[in-house]
Amino acid sequence: MLGNAQRPLRNLIGQRVDGRTELLERKAGGGAVLTGPGMVSASIVLPCGHPLLCDSLVDSYRWLGRLHVAALAEFAIAASAVPPRALHLANAVMAARTVHWACFGGLSPWEVVDAGCRKLVGLAQRRQGAGVLLVAGTLVGATDWRLLCDVMGHPEDEAVLLRRTASCEQLAGCSIEPASYASVLTRLLGEALGSRSATGEIQCHRAR
Amino acid sequence: MIEITLAPDAWTDIDPGTHALVDQWLVGEGDAVRAGQPIANVVLVKTNQEITAPADGRIEKILVRSEETFARGEPIALLKEST
Repeated sequence: MLGNAQRPLRNLIGQRVDGRTELLERKAGGGAVLTGPGMVSASIVLPCGHPLLCDSLVDSYRWLGRLHVAALAEFAIAASAVPPRALHLANAVMAARTVHWACFGGLSPWEVVDAGCRKLVGLAQRRQGAGVLLVAGTLVGATDWRLLCDVMGHPEDEAVLLRRTASCEQLAGCSIEPASYASVLTRLLGEALGSRSATGEIQCHRAR
Repeated sequence: MIEITLAPDAWTDIDPGTHALVDQWLVGEGDAVRAGQPIANVVLVKTNQEITAPADGRIEKILVRSEETFARGEPIALLKEST
């Protein structure tokens, strides 16, 4: 799934994909993501002025990052949402260069990492006149970084992405069903939105 | 002439050196626009957001093209207000 930054390269990337996966564009976030059975995504639409959006664009990510930390804790996975002031330190701990074209190639405020600052959950949002779309993607299972790097034309970045990321299964040391994680996430989102919105509607779509 | 830029509150809590990216212009130079009309999509800290026209008028000049970046407070276009 291409981000904004890759849109001009769509035709070139499409040639590299050559039927190995589906090529889509997303409207929130600038980096490319490989979605599939190993990733659980959440999309939350909130009206402008909703209390969870806060005044600051960056703070709007805080509750969603922390909610994912709570979801991961239910699978005995220790993680944290990185506050803005700790970003530089987290990147220093990581000691790996940023991969600018990939969503999981860098860290942004309130994204979720393990103890080694490897990224588990990526966040993005889209703000329009009527409301805000917040999106999150969790690496539950293994990701085929080789495929992503290959179709993006950056095979040299595979090792960096492997180093910068971790999956839930890797940290838990056992298999985690994406549907189980999605179920926990849906419940926690329902609680978070239910306490603040009488009209919140939760829908769960199983990844293909 | 009105300078159009990303609202200051969008930059709250964001590192001073951070730049935003003009993802897409929805209007061109010379186009008439209405107050509140979305005129550009920009990206800042993984957030896509619209910039809207601050008043009725005409886009006089686009200062930051698509795929280019801009700093806090930097105008991305000039709007000639309708009289």
